[in-house]
Amino acid sequence: MINTANGMMSTSSSSANAQSPGLKTYFKTPEGRYKLHYEKTHPSSLLHYAHGKTVTQVTLAHLKDKPAPSTPTASSSSFGASTGVKSAAARWLGSGNGSRALSFVGGNGGSKSISSTSRIGSLGTSSSSTSMTNTNFDGKGTYLISNVGDAIFISDLNSQEKDPIKSIHFSNSNPVCHAFDQDAKEGHDLLIGLNSGDVYSVSLRQQLQDVGKKLVGAHHYNKDAVVALVSHGFLEVMNKDGAGDSSFSVIKDQTQFSVAHARYSKSNPIARWHVCQGSINSIAFSFDGAYLAAVGRDGYLRVFDYPKEQLVCGGKGYYGAVLCCAWSMDGKYILTGGEDDLVQVWSMEDRKVVAWGEGHNSWVSGVAFDSYWSSPNSDGTAETVMYRFGSVGQDTQLLLWDLEMDEIVVPLRRCPPGGSPTYSTGSQSSHWDNVSPLGTLQPASSIRDVPKISPVVAHRVHTEPLSGLIFTQESVLTVCQEGHIKIWMRPGIAESQSSSTETLSSSAKDKLLLPSKIGGSSYKQ
Amino acid sequence: MGAAGSKLEKALGDQFPEGERYFGLENFGNTCYCNSVLQALYFCVPFREQLLEYYSSHKIGADAEDNLLTCLSDLFTQINSQKKKTGVIAPKRFVQRLKKQNELFRSYMHQDAHEFLNFLLNELVDILEKEDQAAKKEGETSSPSEKTVNGPKNPQANGIQKEPLVTWVHKNFQGILTNETRCLRCETVTARDEAFFDLSLDIEQNSSITSCLKNFSSTETLNAEDKFFCDKCCSLQEAQKRMKIKKPPHILVIHLKRFKYIEQLGRYKKLSYRVVFPLELKLSNTVEDADSEYSLFAVVVHVGSGPNHGHYVSLVKSHNHWLFFDDENVEMIDESAVQTFFGSAQEYSSNTDHGYILFYESLGANKS
Repeated sequence: MINTANGMMSTSSSSANAQSPGLKTYFKTPEGRYKLHYEKTHPSSLLHYAHGKTVTQVTLAHLKDKPAPSTPTASSSSFGASTGVKSAAARWLGSGNGSRALSFVGGNGGSKSISSTSRIGSLGTSSSSTSMTNTNFDGKGTYLISNVGDAIFISDLNSQEKDPIKSIHFSNSNPVCHAFDQDAKEGHDLLIGLNSGDVYSVSLRQQLQDVGKKLVGAHHYNKDAVVALVSHGFLEVMNKDGAGDSSFSVIKDQTQFSVAHARYSKSNPIARWHVCQGSINSIAFSFDGAYLAAVGRDGYLRVFDYPKEQLVCGGKGYYGAVLCCAWSMDGKYILTGGEDDLVQVWSMEDRKVVAWGEGHNSWVSGVAFDSYWSSPNSDGTAETVMYRFGSVGQDTQLLLWDLEMDEIVVPLRRCPPGGSPTYSTGSQSSHWDNVSPLGTLQPASSIRDVPKISPVVAHRVHTEPLSGLIFTQESVLTVCQEGHIKIWMRPGIAESQSSSTETLSSSAKDKLLLPSKIGGSSYKQ
Repeated sequence: MGAAGSKLEKALGDQFPEGERYFGLENFGNTCYCNSVLQALYFCVPFREQLLEYYSSHKIGADAEDNLLTCLSDLFTQINSQKKKTGVIAPKRFVQRLKKQNELFRSYMHQDAHEFLNFLLNELVDILEKEDQAAKKEGETSSPSEKTVNGPKNPQANGIQKEPLVTWVHKNFQGILTNETRCLRCETVTARDEAFFDLSLDIEQNSSITSCLKNFSSTETLNAEDKFFCDKCCSLQEAQKRMKIKKPPHILVIHLKRFKYIEQLGRYKKLSYRVVFPLELKLSNTVEDADSEYSLFAVVVHVGSGPNHGHYVSLVKSHNHWLFFDDENVEMIDESAVQTFFGSAQEYSSNTDHGYILFYESLGANKS
């Protein structure tokens, strides 16, 4: 099914279209048209893995142009994290304590596979380069790391090649999350978390350069010893230099936040944070590395001062588990999304929810600020700071949102039928006026107390539920649970092919909604 | 069977909840529709407690004639008073009574679990109302009053009107919907209340219960062939209609309309759509902003690709553990396993186990 109306399909996008019948290969926004540029997939023979067991996540990895480490056999270490690892975030935290800190979330990934209990002995990973044309690969550029089934795939972001250039298979366990840190010491820049609870740190460059190279060996644990310590809701801070297995004291109060440190500085993990009951679904560092946001099964967003290991603020979403979170570049806002179908905007200044985005028809599985976007009125005339962010959901939709915080309008409070506008009991609105004290968690807000925003664009991008999105300078990346990745070029970037004249004037065939102001009130009456 | 029981006991270990019994139910030939619903109801604790109390206060003897209420309370009491913690029970008396009572359930054909649940709850109400009436007759005749009796049937054959009795079935399951119709000419809003024991929701591919509930309460315009007779205008007018929840029930039962009549095919088809349901839910389509939170405690699952065959199993949450009931078998499952029953994102999929009836209990957060 080739969209001829478009008239300028590249080969890659037309074949992409064929794979997803009924889906448009572009969507319109106020600033222009986003076009499907590349699509990344994986050998379909791999799709027979147990359906729905692992959800694909994507990590963007930018390799600097630098020589490969001289010792290609540098050993990587593995860290045992109790039950399945669920989320990963990497951040270089400066030289405060002389070591790079990486953190992983150990959560109950629900993946109690047989392999994880019987995985003693061989590491059993093998990797293969699927494309022989890449044998002389130079290891520069931007790559996409994605997990599908029992494999990690590495694709080149800027090539038309649909298939991955490299795959790493794990025979005993499924990779479920990954993180990349280009400033990692010794080039061990890629972290891979498995649902068995193990964490690998490897060199992406090395993986790309050595065709058919096996994933280097790792340390093993007596897993029983680890499991005995573990419940859900832990967050483990890893020190890459360490090797051993740390032991921690047993958590006394399951409901309280606590941090335990390893007895020996060279062991791993160096610290274990008990964050909440139930699994942690996602974590994110602020861009300066000072704060860590964590969301989980219990429906709360928690924000920690990372170096101080203190809870700063947080609150409960409307209902259900929270599945994803992301920071704005300036660290002022955190987006969360979850099982209430809402995208929540949390203000770090106010320490409260400032907006709920309504527009998804199912759970929100990925959120991200578009840090490359500049608002149309950013020509110096307007003082308002405007943010653009995106969200993807299990409804297969990508939504884009505009957030204009200085224009918070007082909405008419919806009145109960037949009554004059009344305030709820007052208890709900009272906390809006004063910033809550440090380190407290707020209860869920009432649906009518939170300003609502609507998406600027709603577009169905895949046929499968989505699992994540990433903004790059040129594009928006969307990925579905089954591991298909689509790359949508920003307006104007789609080089010579695009006829830029039609982009702005075209009548909205897509769901083109008006940019929304925050429909909320200041509650300072 | 005994081995399976001990396996569950082992899995729970010293976390086995005190006084709780996990018993499988024997299948008497396609009675899984019944077993799956009975398990969900048994683990609806306030409902179970009422039935146990009914049993002990009514001292059901052999002389009294069986009805579904006595049979159900007998079954629940039997389960509850087992010496062993796990095992299998044959709900023979109950199933016999059910088949006697309703010829629909008499055959060995595959039955609809939702129809059974609906029939059972209404039947229990009828029996309780009859009992209440019999008790009142000994005293005096009640004053007549105009009000619709809840449920599809009014059991009073003799035409005697009575105060609608609020039974414990109502207290647990009944909610009230209000059907608001706004005439587009005179703007008059006509509201009609309707009681319900469960909400039947239309479903869409890759959606959530939240979204299905939203659609359920979305505004619908009545026009063309389907105009509304406005009492004020005294004529057919275009109107807007919407359903809202006036009184949320304590136990919210949500039925997903997975069996859809396809006109072109001339038969029912099963929709295997992926509809996600959260473990906690709030109703936002209420008349007043209720914001009360519900917690999922049971799911009746239909297994199979078609409407006329297949199997029913249930997932039940008891004392913070999730259990999987498949007729005789009871297993412990992880909370995260619940999400394998959402449905499939593609039409043709090997996964045929789909959540069909959801049971949520209000956490009673009546915020003051």
